[in-house]
Amino acid sequence: MRQIPDGTSLRIGEAWAIAFTYFTVAITVSLVHSTAGTPTWVIIAATLLVNSATATLAYAAVTAAGGSVAAGIAGGWLTSTRFGVLAAALAPRLWPQRWKRGIAAFSAFDPNIALANREEEDENVRRVYVAMSLWLVLPWWLGASIGAVLGDLVSDPKALGMDAMFPALFIAIIRPQLTTQRARLIAFSGAGIALGLVQVLPGGLPFLVAALPALLALKSSESESS
Amino acid sequence: MLTWGVVVVLAVGVYGQRALGMALIDPNRISDRSRQVLAMVPLSILCAVTALQTLSSQGELVLDARVAGIVAAAALSWKRAPMFLVVIVAAAVTAAVRLV
Repeated sequence: MRQIPDGTSLRIGEAWAIAFTYFTVAITVSLVHSTAGTPTWVIIAATLLVNSATATLAYAAVTAAGGSVAAGIAGGWLTSTRFGVLAAALAPRLWPQRWKRGIAAFSAFDPNIALANREEEDENVRRVYVAMSLWLVLPWWLGASIGAVLGDLVSDPKALGMDAMFPALFIAIIRPQLTTQRARLIAFSGAGIALGLVQVLPGGLPFLVAALPALLALKSSESESS
Repeated sequence: MLTWGVVVVLAVGVYGQRALGMALIDPNRISDRSRQVLAMVPLSILCAVTALQTLSSQGELVLDARVAGIVAAAALSWKRAPMFLVVIVAAAVTAAVRLV
């Protein structure tokens, strides 16, 4: 199987699968905003500038439920806090120059960080991050624009099972990483914590708490090695 | 409904958090051990996102057709099926269960 970029572990099939998923989900996200009455150009601008579906969808959900604009914005910011944590997790393996990481920050998403993180060499981490960011963001923008222009392209995204695409993609990304007992423990505790907290904490915060098992794993590795 | 003002405020906040994450840690001054822990963080968060996108909707735990699709996706991933197939089957199974 071909790798892109050469010499990394990112397979072309994975890149296509991620591009396809983001393209499709982007269409449905635009449809949600379109149904809520957002003008076409604002939807396209939101996709390009905010670059996070969770943030804009959270805003839409809060305001549709009768929440104020401020509450909607707070909801949007909160749900995307995980991108900051993910960025911090990958940052040490990216470029030493701060301005380069500043540009890279714009496209900090789940799949490109997870896949870049898989590389052994820091050099390859950067190459996979750049390649995967493009493979993700471009289809994302394209899909969102198509969805915004053709407001009623898909009458009911849920009937087509599109809400299952993101979690399915993430499982496929996670699966190869569950090779050690510790990785499995971290993975399942992360999921368990999030499920336990989802009804208690506001959107987005459960993800932050879910990062704790990874930190605790460090603690235990410290005591093992000492 | 999104407005231009909201888009700008959301964009600034979301980029600010991402940039803060990137700036917080100086790659030149971090121990190997911290690197190892940080390397595990995406796994934790990705699993949390997967779990909530499968079993919750707008802050409430929900059991619906998605679960069937994701179980199928997990089984295929376990068998090391191509990522494409995993995503398509998950959507198809979810759609099929909703039809029934």
